[in-house]
Amino acid sequence: MLLAYALSSGITSGALYALVAVGLVLCYRTTGHINFSHGELFMIGGFLAFTLHVMWGLPYIVALLGAVAGSFVLGVLTDRVVYQPLIKAPPIAMVMATVGLSFVLKGIGRHFWGGQGEVVPFPPLVSPAPVLIGGVAVFPQQLVVVASVVVCMLLLTLFFTRTRAGKMMQATAENAHAAYLVGIRVERVYMLTWGVGAALAGVAAVFVAPLTLLTPDIGLSLLLKAFAATILGGLGSMTGAVIGGLLVGILEALAGTYIASSIQDVSAFIIILAVLVFRPTGLLGARARREV
Amino acid sequence: MRTLTMTGLARMTGLASVAALSLMAAPAALAETGVTADTIVIGGMGGLTGPSAGLIIPQLNGVQAVFEEVNAAGGVHGRKIVYAKQDDECLPSRGVGAVKKLIHEEKPFMIVGGGCSNAAIAQKPEVIEAKIPWVIVASTADSLTEPVNPYVFTTMSAAWMEVYGQLQLALDQGKTRIAVVWQPDAWGKARLEPMKQAFKAKGIEPVSIQEIAVEPTDTTPTVLQIQATKPDAVLLLLFPKAAVPFLRDAYKVGLQPLMVGGSPLGEIDVLAKGVGSPDSVKNLRAVTAAGYGVDDPQVAKWKGIVEKRFGDRFNVLHMYGISAGQFAVEALKQAGPEPTREKILQIMSNLTVKTDTYAGPLECKPTDHQCHKALGIFAFQDGRVTGIGVTRPTR
Repeated sequence: MLLAYALSSGITSGALYALVAVGLVLCYRTTGHINFSHGELFMIGGFLAFTLHVMWGLPYIVALLGAVAGSFVLGVLTDRVVYQPLIKAPPIAMVMATVGLSFVLKGIGRHFWGGQGEVVPFPPLVSPAPVLIGGVAVFPQQLVVVASVVVCMLLLTLFFTRTRAGKMMQATAENAHAAYLVGIRVERVYMLTWGVGAALAGVAAVFVAPLTLLTPDIGLSLLLKAFAATILGGLGSMTGAVIGGLLVGILEALAGTYIASSIQDVSAFIIILAVLVFRPTGLLGARARREV
Repeated sequence: MRTLTMTGLARMTGLASVAALSLMAAPAALAETGVTADTIVIGGMGGLTGPSAGLIIPQLNGVQAVFEEVNAAGGVHGRKIVYAKQDDECLPSRGVGAVKKLIHEEKPFMIVGGGCSNAAIAQKPEVIEAKIPWVIVASTADSLTEPVNPYVFTTMSAAWMEVYGQLQLALDQGKTRIAVVWQPDAWGKARLEPMKQAFKAKGIEPVSIQEIAVEPTDTTPTVLQIQATKPDAVLLLLFPKAAVPFLRDAYKVGLQPLMVGGSPLGEIDVLAKGVGSPDSVKNLRAVTAAGYGVDDPQVAKWKGIVEKRFGDRFNVLHMYGISAGQFAVEALKQAGPEPTREKILQIMSNLTVKTDTYAGPLECKPTDHQCHKALGIFAFQDGRVTGIGVTRPTR
């Protein structure tokens, strides 16, 4: 029973990390940059939903759509204000810019939603009472997060394979220069990518916030866990992000259950170190090619 | 070489006399730093930005609310209070610079501030060196007021008091198999050691001591480890960010013994909302510095003022600030129309004040500047946070 609980706990936490990691990977594979403000986009998305649903009393679905739309706009603004001006700058400039943006967004979060106490509860979408699955108690909201990962992956697969915008994003991710030569407006693709990546953060926030609560500082810890997931799964692989997220969650739970509760939280970072040392490309990442 | 003529000498003597008379005629208070004929500057520092801002801003808003109310009623002996704040981000590294800036630029008569122990510990030598009376709002480290320093007072309960109160509450209810859960940061460490000492003083051993992250997403493994020890009480040394996931996972696996938290868990209704079910907190008690629930009629006046003035959701953090502000105001009133720092220090060393937000009076003595003695005990009953008792912990 202990193992069953550890696994169920790991899968539900892992789904949460995966949901955040997918947005992170989407940006990376198209633009080649890690968006270090992704956690704060999540936070803003969560607070947008909180404002619409809790403060203004609008239905959950309206809050979801509002958070997604608001996050998308924020992502587009990120592209316009941060990414495009630095597109030819050294990669470190982009790292610093997104880190800086994360602080700006955190400040915005504190300005508009600070003073509410240490945490802001977000009501669950479904019944808060736990349900038994095979003798293991699970919260329905945790099942919602797992389901949302599956739905997001399905929608993203459809988006990339069935839509023109998705195909352009795929082409740009493969080779931006070639995409430009065949007439794809690469700059617009980048803008769309930042927007969709941020919108995914908004989706994640609405489903995950009832489990994590909301604070203006929630972004960093989630970003780090999602980053661990993407490193483990292979930076640039969406499927890898999901598998990585689930593995990080499960390994955390097993470490907390069978080694010590104090090691649970740091196990994700031990994973990052181990993967970087022994398999830098992650589980599903492409092996690095060296030009000679 | 110039020589003084009789006329020049007479002129200089006259000017000196005028100057001396002017000085004699001026109120003595004008000579005191931070005090003018119509204002008195009180400094305040705390984490106005950074991760702790959500905790500190409400505290200082509580202080400011008191000062603004006093000003609206005419001030203290006709002087309006100017509350000058500096941001220390709750970091020791920023704290020293912030308090120096406060002392040397704002030149306050006294200080009412400090919400984070680590920053306050770093700031203490600066305040003492400047010889400024300091009323600590919410920093809880025992070392701030032990040993007694003539310049430092606190209106917040000390770290040891809450943990002794938590353990005593469990023992009073006949619990013997008691577990402890703590968060591994400075705040948690400052409570874990006194908690171990409290167990030792009572001659019992905790059945389990478990650590969870400050911001965990899932605490099921910890909950299961505690459940395996079959506790009849769990003492929580946690902030809400950690407590909500813990309570949620305990509720999920059916771990429902008596749970006792400290001041950070005073808003049990918020915790219930965080978990999503009031059933998750039905066995939770909170031993807190605040004496009332946020919806209690005793604090309704302040709730209205704070929510209208600052747009905050009124909570226990405001209550800490309100009590600290009222303590300082009472000291200023008793100091009379010509306050001096020396006078204020003497008054505060023997001051007893019943504030609007604490369960018992703040009582300072020359040998004890830890002025908060009575902690409120709260439960979640009939859909609201309800006071169920008061405790005065002793070591």
